[in-house]
Amino acid sequence: MQLAAHHPPDRNFKYWIIAPAVFLLLAVGLFPLIYSLVVSFMRIDMMDTDTSFAGLYNYKQLFKDARLWQSLLHTLIITAVALPLELILGLAMAYLFLERMPGRQIFVSLLVLPTIISPIVAGATWRLLLDNQYGPINQILGWFAGQRVNLLWTINPHLVYPAIIFCEIWQWTPFMFLILLAALSNVDKSQTEAAEIDGASFLRTFRYIVLPAIWPVMAIAILIRGLDLFRIFDIIWALTMGGPGTMTETISIYTYNQGFKQFETSYTAAIAFLVIAILTVVVTWAIRRMGLAK
Amino acid sequence: MSDLKITKLNKHYGAFHAVKGIDLEVPSGEFTVLVGPSGCGKSTLLRTIAGLEEASSGTVEIGGQDVTWARPRDRNIAMVFQNYALYPYLNVKDNIAFGLRSRKVAEAEVEKRVKRAAEMLGIAHLLARFPRELSGGQRQRVAIGRAIVRDAILYLFDEPLSNLDAQLRDDMRVEIKRLHQELGRTMIYVTHDQIEAMTLADRIVLLRDGLIEQQGAPLDLFERPKTRFVAGFLGSPKMNFIPATLTETGVALSDGTALELPGRRGLKAGQAVVLGLRPQYISMAGQALAPGHARVPVTIELVQPTGSRVQATMPLGGASIIAELAAHDVSRPGERTAIDIDMTRAVIIDPQSEQVI
Amino acid sequence: MSATLPFHRRPGTRLALRYLLALVLTVIFVFPVYWLFIISFKTPDEIFAFPPVWYPKSLQLANYHVLFKDGDAATVGNSLILASVSTFFAMILGTIAAYSLVRFRTGGENLAVWIISQRMMPPVAIVFPIFLVYVWLGWVDTYVGLIVLYTAFSLPYVIWMMRGYIEDIPLELEESALVDGCTRAQVLWKVVFPMARTGLFATAVFTFVFAWNDFLFALVLTRTEVTTYTVQVTHYFGGQSNFWAKIAAMSVLGTIPVFFTVAVMQRYLVRGISMGAVKG
Repeated sequence: MQLAAHHPPDRNFKYWIIAPAVFLLLAVGLFPLIYSLVVSFMRIDMMDTDTSFAGLYNYKQLFKDARLWQSLLHTLIITAVALPLELILGLAMAYLFLERMPGRQIFVSLLVLPTIISPIVAGATWRLLLDNQYGPINQILGWFAGQRVNLLWTINPHLVYPAIIFCEIWQWTPFMFLILLAALSNVDKSQTEAAEIDGASFLRTFRYIVLPAIWPVMAIAILIRGLDLFRIFDIIWALTMGGPGTMTETISIYTYNQGFKQFETSYTAAIAFLVIAILTVVVTWAIRRMGLAK
Repeated sequence: MSDLKITKLNKHYGAFHAVKGIDLEVPSGEFTVLVGPSGCGKSTLLRTIAGLEEASSGTVEIGGQDVTWARPRDRNIAMVFQNYALYPYLNVKDNIAFGLRSRKVAEAEVEKRVKRAAEMLGIAHLLARFPRELSGGQRQRVAIGRAIVRDAILYLFDEPLSNLDAQLRDDMRVEIKRLHQELGRTMIYVTHDQIEAMTLADRIVLLRDGLIEQQGAPLDLFERPKTRFVAGFLGSPKMNFIPATLTETGVALSDGTALELPGRRGLKAGQAVVLGLRPQYISMAGQALAPGHARVPVTIELVQPTGSRVQATMPLGGASIIAELAAHDVSRPGERTAIDIDMTRAVIIDPQSEQVI
Repeated sequence: MSATLPFHRRPGTRLALRYLLALVLTVIFVFPVYWLFIISFKTPDEIFAFPPVWYPKSLQLANYHVLFKDGDAATVGNSLILASVSTFFAMILGTIAAYSLVRFRTGGENLAVWIISQRMMPPVAIVFPIFLVYVWLGWVDTYVGLIVLYTAFSLPYVIWMMRGYIEDIPLELEESALVDGCTRAQVLWKVVFPMARTGLFATAVFTFVFAWNDFLFALVLTRTEVTTYTVQVTHYFGGQSNFWAKIAAMSVLGTIPVFFTVAVMQRYLVRGISMGAVKG
């Protein structure tokens, strides 16, 4: 009699069930990568038929492209401002709702609303809120200023970044809040009580007891949000389209413009490669730095 | 002077009344054990003393100061938690030093005191380890070290031994008793284990349903319980309870056995009572009947040896009682024999009020 | 006794302060959603009034009526089809792949890491080559094109999450099913899927929301036939003047399905979020 373990369908079962996922990931993940790599060494754009080999030409162009580096800088500015604010605000909110209070669940459900709507809708909403004439924000500011306020939030160079960052923070702080609330609730209560009896201040308790306990969760939240912020596209598309001029053009918006407005096929592929390279380096560094590698 | 004084303390959790107006005073240097079955309010009482729970009403004074509304850190107390509550990201030394450093004690002093506490507890060689690398008993020692390193007025212990296995629990009990003798500090210890309470306490406070049932020295509670609850809670094996009726000079059991109660006067003959007999005060019938003892014929049904002693089960007066006998005295199960009961130690309980008469 | 306590530390004061803060925060975070919602019911006069109208006189539905009459509302249907079908496939394919990773350690740690690393792939870096391939395949502006893309893009997340849930299933259950005569495939269907139910629901909600929220892929890969609602919303943006009523009404239409999904699934979500984060 044949043993079940040697039955062919059983032996290959583990491959059969993972094959579809791996195939799809290869098709959508790896294939474009290789395709881009090849194209990035050629001279393809949609304006003429020249498809000759260009060597490192496109990559050399990258270094001369001031608009590219500016778009990277814009992306970094938004990330560097929005991410810490979301984190601190989310943490403060999590502490506010950590202790039980009647009606807490209702507050939490309402606060999570911004996170569940589509980013493009979040952008559209703020486009309406920030409208210089009919938007309520200028109106409310007018109450405080004592006169009519007519700020051009999505056009004025001094105001576009605050506008984008407000919207970003409004949408994603609740996400941080929810994750950190769950993490804080899981901290062993007797440890914080012991620290309280030991006479530790709030900051000392946070630094030595709470933070180490929630860090694994917090680090992943930071990583996820950091990645999302680096690829920020929808909110900017809805609010400024990268304008005024190229003032708020992020790396994603710039790549899109090169590919689908300038039709610089090969050059876009080179940019895409640069982006992937940067992300790989940063994420690998972050994972190691944050102690997430198991 | 008393280090702790509690007056009319109440604690409600919504509709649940956990502590029902407790008054308690603990003199300096005393080892007080709060004991009682689960849900009696002993842990709530301790946590209210620590300031981890807010009192609903009443006052708590520590070291002569009203601390009812003070934060835990301002009460000058130290506490050992049931699950140890060691800080997992700090090593043993930093764990023990945490409280001192929080209070900005000079680092040289911290070093000195941590070293002394660690030596006292025999964990000096573990200072560089992390909690996860320690055994249960070692973690317990670190948790205790974290408390005794502090110069507190009150040292609180919340069921500190309940997570240990039996052998370790016995060892740690001795350790804690020794620490108390060496340090001479005021300690308050919560447990549901009556053996811990009996062996450790200078004074036992027995709680039931949020009230103090009785307090006093361990032997006092053991010998002179005020209620059936106290009589049944303390002692192992448990006190035997036998339904009986009072006579002029003693009690009569349902099978007609009459037992003299020496030195008791003014008994209401005919009243239904419960007779409480400790297994320790029953012995195998000897040559002569000691004064104040009563001899009763019995048939032994079951014997459980515990080493030098044996717990023998036998029917008496319609109940099944346990006697703790010397091992060499006991005959085989089924054998008819006689026992001597020390009636001077017997307890008579009113079944209605459950009070000891 | 409480009279001796400083005002700011009285328990009652603290609770009141927490409520006040909670209320202020909630108003700040909910107001934008309220504003969007309320504009969708306003008449043009109310929308373009100065000072702004904080609440409309009546809940008139003309703005929605226009969307349905012009057929714009159908884009919500497109989003619904794309998101549900791709979620369905991603859950099935992702779960069985995760099972293979957990139970058989297929491909070792390397395969698992490679799959998860796909999560950080920036969409903008791959959308261009995908577009070129789709042109060649004739998949631009088709359901199948976007469904394949969304499914593939959700897979790393699904596999990552389901791995954690499947690890929690006691091995004995599967072994007893095998002994009782189930094939491996039957074990998957009869033991693994039912046992990982909570995880499946939580993960499916996030997968659905991901596909639902997508804008970039839909922007590049749709034209007229399978336009999603996110793309449709941006059609109402104007340089100087926006089609306010349409933006608002379309946004509300597009938010309702997600809102319902989240409301119904709420009890799974927090667990889903924290679990996924903790399991890493």
